[in-house]
Amino acid sequence: MRKRALSSKAPLVILRFYIIAVCMSAFIPFLNPARVSGMISKNASLFTCAVSYSAIGDNFVRALSMGWISQGALTTAYIGALTGGLSVALLGAAFCLCFGNIKMCRLGVKLSALGALTGIAGMTVLRLAYNSFALTSRPDRVEPMLPVGIAAFWGLFGLMLIFSGAIWAAMPKAPEGAKYEMAPKYRLFLMMMPFLALVVLFAYLPLWGWRYAFFDYRAGFDLTMDNFVGLKWLRYLFSNPATRADIVRVLKNTFAMSGLGIATSWLPMTFAILLTEIRSNKSKRVIQTLTTIPNFISWVLVYSVAFAIFSTEGFLNWALASIGVIESGAGTNHLMSNTDIWLKMWAWGTWKGLGWSAIIYIAGISSIDQQLYEAATVDGAGRFQKMWHITVPGLMSTYFVLLLLSIANILTNGMDQYFVFFNPANRESIQVLDLFVYHLGLSGNTSYSIPLATLIGMMKSLISVTLLFMANKASALIRGESIV
Amino acid sequence: MFKRSAADYVFDAVNILFFTLFTLLCVFPIYYLFINTISDNSLVQAGQVNLYPRGIQFDNYLALLNVGDLGNAAMVTVGRTLLGTVTMALTCALVGYLVTQNAMFGRKVIYRGIVVIMYFNAGLVPWYLNMSMLGLTNNFWGYIIPAIVQPFNVILVKTYVESIPGELQESAFIDGAGYLTVFGRIILPLCKPILATIAVFGAVMHWNSFMDSVILMGGDPNLYTLQHRLYLYLNKATNLGKLMNSGGSISEADVTSALNSRVVSLTVAMVTIIPILLVYPFMQRYFQKGIMLGAVKG
Repeated sequence: MRKRALSSKAPLVILRFYIIAVCMSAFIPFLNPARVSGMISKNASLFTCAVSYSAIGDNFVRALSMGWISQGALTTAYIGALTGGLSVALLGAAFCLCFGNIKMCRLGVKLSALGALTGIAGMTVLRLAYNSFALTSRPDRVEPMLPVGIAAFWGLFGLMLIFSGAIWAAMPKAPEGAKYEMAPKYRLFLMMMPFLALVVLFAYLPLWGWRYAFFDYRAGFDLTMDNFVGLKWLRYLFSNPATRADIVRVLKNTFAMSGLGIATSWLPMTFAILLTEIRSNKSKRVIQTLTTIPNFISWVLVYSVAFAIFSTEGFLNWALASIGVIESGAGTNHLMSNTDIWLKMWAWGTWKGLGWSAIIYIAGISSIDQQLYEAATVDGAGRFQKMWHITVPGLMSTYFVLLLLSIANILTNGMDQYFVFFNPANRESIQVLDLFVYHLGLSGNTSYSIPLATLIGMMKSLISVTLLFMANKASALIRGESIV
Repeated sequence: MFKRSAADYVFDAVNILFFTLFTLLCVFPIYYLFINTISDNSLVQAGQVNLYPRGIQFDNYLALLNVGDLGNAAMVTVGRTLLGTVTMALTCALVGYLVTQNAMFGRKVIYRGIVVIMYFNAGLVPWYLNMSMLGLTNNFWGYIIPAIVQPFNVILVKTYVESIPGELQESAFIDGAGYLTVFGRIILPLCKPILATIAVFGAVMHWNSFMDSVILMGGDPNLYTLQHRLYLYLNKATNLGKLMNSGGSISEADVTSALNSRVVSLTVAMVTIIPILLVYPFMQRYFQKGIMLGAVKG
């Protein structure tokens, strides 16, 4: 009995995976069946073309006005892409229904057949669109081309239609009076699906981009086996003296700034302990409120504050002039200097974050058992003894976790701060790894910028994860409790 | 009451002095910014406004209305803050609730998969190329959609939902309610405090967000956020100022433009800070609740 149930499930499982494969193909630019012209971006997938008309239409503004191509052809192409998108949506719905009971599964299979039909129709429309593109008077300016995607999707959809039909015929009929039902575990899973898709789309799909690190890639070019270069960029990174010098300099900055942060990581704890020593609750609250404000203004705003105070017309020059250190009007723009950048950046970070980071310790102090303090008082312990022997040990566990996390994050300084304070004068000492990758990959324009930036980002991610893993293990060993 | 020793008094005095100074250090720069924007501009340029406002006027704020691209930037920022916060908070609430349901197929894997992305990312370039492939560069939705699922907020909601007695849900299930009904009628109303917390976190994040505008929207100035505009003004002011200092040949118009840029930058900065300062005192307890709950799960 059980075996039969299993074997009747197998085709459905295959169908589900098949649907996933088709839906994913809709996101692959190479398979885009809507790319009926070389003018349409190589990076646009069927999905992109279906959700926005501009992915197709924007490339033909000139061709349209010159009469090289008709509006009808563009509309046809868009309708084709839209129909293709619709079929993917239908298949998605079919995928969900195939998790239900027999009655629901039958509906799902019907829907997948319908989706396949819609898809075939969409591909046919796209083929027609290609035909009208091919009729253009200026093939050199419209670049009509028959995308591989049309044939590929035709095949995929055709196979799906046949497969669905076969399953439909082989599947037992639902018993009389059955309702549409689905087991809770699948219902919950399906509710989760859209959000899971978001996570995959924005956090896991980019991993696919790591392949750029192994190709000779420039923006706008193709990735083919011809420009596959293996570990060339890794070797380049270490053998080219200029890049090596860059990397050493950037790593020095990164470690210096992270190191300053780690070396002063006890500050928030001290801040919290001292704050709780203030007797008036009201002033405690006021201090806490006012010192956390900087945490909530963005780095750009911090920079504008810095600008107001340290630029040529700023407060600092006035103050220096008024105590006679410099002559009035002789002040310079202090943000344009390269001296002590590490310390300055650390100071801004502390200014912004100290009050905020202390909150977690303040919460920690309030959760320490009051009886400990009372007992210590009875035993004649003084104020400082209580701080040192009760409060500090009580906070150590929190401190330890945060310390491990900051060590694991040693390569990650964040970018906003360094980006806004960056200028040609302080370039040498402010460029941390994150900023370097940005400058190299997104504003650099050399032959190696994208692969190299990808490679460095990739290595950074791998090292960070390893560090985190080690920190987690260390925490488990020492405290008997893991962090993540 | 216990007796205070001399050392106690000294300690208290030093302590209070330290906190007073640090608090001033936190507040004074913002105050300085503020008095510079409401004082007479000629006095500001002469460096005469340093400790208190002189010749109070609000023309700078009115003048902002005439700076064309600012209105647009403000609309983009307000739009993304409202839309982004609402979608993020509701989604994270639902996701946070769903991951507490043990019955879910693959629950553990899914939850870990969501949490891991806090610590792990592919890197800037692959991320950018991915966004561009999805058509979210130079597109307003590029601000909203990627920010919908926030792992940290999911953890906050999950921890909170787990503290709600399970009997409440069970009895509703027995009465025939579905998961979404239970979520909408029972969990969501009970989650109001944590919902407020993540909404406040989200709103501040969206309001302050800046790099995504720089990286993703480079091709469409109409989509720049307020923070991005502010950065551009600041840069303009710095560069013109540098030119003047180096004695390069610059016209009268450049000088005016530099000073104007300075005043405009500071005023824009003030306009951007004010909303945060206004809501902050009311929201403070939510922030603190958030960070404490977050501390539970590292």
